[in-house]
Amino acid sequence: MRENSSKISVRTKAAVAAFAWVIGLPLAWLTVQSFAASWRFPALIPPAFNLRAWQYLFDSSSGISNALINSLLIALTVTFLAIVFALPAARAIALHNFTGKNLLLFVLLLPILSPSIAAAIGGHALFLRYNLTDSYAGVILAHLVPTVPYCVLTLTGGFSRFDVELEAQARTLGASGWQVLRFVTLPAIAPSLLLSAVFAFMISWSQYLTTLLIGGGRIITLPLVLVNFQRGGDEAVTAALTLIFLAPTVLFLAVTAKYWREN
Amino acid sequence: MKSKLILTFALFLCLTFSACQNSNTNAPKFAPGDLSKTDWQTIENKARGTNVAFAMWAGDEARNRFFQRDVSRNLKEKYDINLQIVPLGDTAEAVSKLLNEKSAGKSAGGSIDMIWINGENFRAAKEGGLLWGKFAASLPNNRYYDAEAGQRDFGTAIENLEAPWQKAQFVFAFDTARFSEPPRSIDALGDWIKAHPGRFTYIAPPDFTGSAFLRHVLFHFGGGANKFQTFDDELYKNASAKTFTFLNEIKPFLWRRGETYANSTKELDRLFANGEIDFAFAYGANFASERIKRGEYPPTARTFVLDSGTIANYNFLTIPFNANNPAGALVVINYLLSPEFQIEQSRILGSIYPHKLDALSDAERKAVLEIERGAATLSAEELDAHSIPEADSEYLQRLEKDWREKVLLSGQ
Repeated sequence: MRENSSKISVRTKAAVAAFAWVIGLPLAWLTVQSFAASWRFPALIPPAFNLRAWQYLFDSSSGISNALINSLLIALTVTFLAIVFALPAARAIALHNFTGKNLLLFVLLLPILSPSIAAAIGGHALFLRYNLTDSYAGVILAHLVPTVPYCVLTLTGGFSRFDVELEAQARTLGASGWQVLRFVTLPAIAPSLLLSAVFAFMISWSQYLTTLLIGGGRIITLPLVLVNFQRGGDEAVTAALTLIFLAPTVLFLAVTAKYWREN
Repeated sequence: MKSKLILTFALFLCLTFSACQNSNTNAPKFAPGDLSKTDWQTIENKARGTNVAFAMWAGDEARNRFFQRDVSRNLKEKYDINLQIVPLGDTAEAVSKLLNEKSAGKSAGGSIDMIWINGENFRAAKEGGLLWGKFAASLPNNRYYDAEAGQRDFGTAIENLEAPWQKAQFVFAFDTARFSEPPRSIDALGDWIKAHPGRFTYIAPPDFTGSAFLRHVLFHFGGGANKFQTFDDELYKNASAKTFTFLNEIKPFLWRRGETYANSTKELDRLFANGEIDFAFAYGANFASERIKRGEYPPTARTFVLDSGTIANYNFLTIPFNANNPAGALVVINYLLSPEFQIEQSRILGSIYPHKLDALSDAERKAVLEIERGAATLSAEELDAHSIPEADSEYLQRLEKDWREKVLLSGQ
């Protein structure tokens, strides 16, 4: 028994080390690069360091803090709306059988099956006609297109293990519709709810082309700034921006790892 | 608790949805036809208190910082204008956005008031009817520019649809720590490449800068840049055939035996900085000095031009057809053409001063001459004496297309 458990822990340790290597090494490299004054071959370590890139990022006139706030607000709104739209659809698909169910599923998944560049360019013409370009509303709406399908998929998984009888029981015990949702349904699907929220947030957070086209350069988000600097060849600023761009992912990973360890 | 949360969210949504209406507030109406009837002071008054959205390539931190801080502050103080930078990764993004808006019939209330543009993007914008009107000659500060600067942009007639803004000359960089005298003609360069295998490469067209290197070879075999101002099929066929023969001759002696080329200015820069090749090149006479300052190039790097000259082109400022605030854009463009702005920009970004020196006041001329040019930047006299014009953009497109077939894919 004892031997067995120590074997597992060695294997786990190896897995954690590999994971840290794959995730940690690029992050470490980016961190060093963001402070490097210059870093040329064949120097193994940058010969000089400075705070130029980070100072620029936190300089209010650079507009990068605005881009960060835009990215956060848009991603949070998209997450909320995507879940609100996906909940009824996921519930219907998981719990009911009706004609045309597969067709409905296909239509719901269409946005992630078709190439996003086609959707973005075609969508731009449509959004122009309804005067939705260059606005937050338009960008949020455009981000919902690829996010809702993922939310529907993950929430369907949650609902498929959900026993509807529980709701009926709560109702017979005198709970209101709101109370049923609050104390019975949502807690029951909490894990998939959390998962779809993470999905929706990350998808919206990383949109580039859609934001560029629909936002028309007026709604500036983090990926837009990042691509400008990457193309411009400023490696320190690009590295610093990439670190900020990766922050939510790293945060989610850390939280998940902690959750796993505790359970 | 929960209902409060939802209420807050709903409120927040309303706010974001209404925020989108903000961008188009009460900008004064102004048509190109009004220019001749309106004096400049009236235009400045109209522009007071408005927002101007300036779409510009934004890949350079120093330039972004300069515009977002210094230029914005100056415009606010002088004209009460709020400058908003619309950052572009590539100017073509703005042109395709305008094309989409044109085809969707959005002819007013556009989100871009002015664009930094030149070459093929200007040609596309002009041909697509994406420009506001003929305004450049009406700007008071247009008088600081050579009349020649406003004639042709890569062979496309400008017709006052854009105003000349800055000048960029193509220069080569080399490292004096490796050798002291660079080859100063295409023939000498060819010999040098054959004598030093693996130490030279160029950027694969259609990259803007790589394509410019090809044009220098084309000019060399076609009898000089002046012959290439309007498209001549016969001339192109003769000169391009010799150009491709030359490029194929040097191909086995290039970096990685010519099996691949640098794919961007950034890569060429990196190869040069790492000592893998002996020459870099770029538009912008000050580029090597800037790289030295940033610690990317060795301090011993210097620049040179060909004896037969290197291409110098202007880049321009223009107003799109559906600009929401053309009056504001006119005032900003006029300010960006002023000696005051140009001198400050040269000081901060090290760019080359583009105006005629004799149009300046004594104090301004003195300020221009005192600007620190950087050790690797050639003197204004040497650059001027070796400045040749751009070719018609038809040559560009043909050369880029044929290079792929006759050089890149040949012998494979």
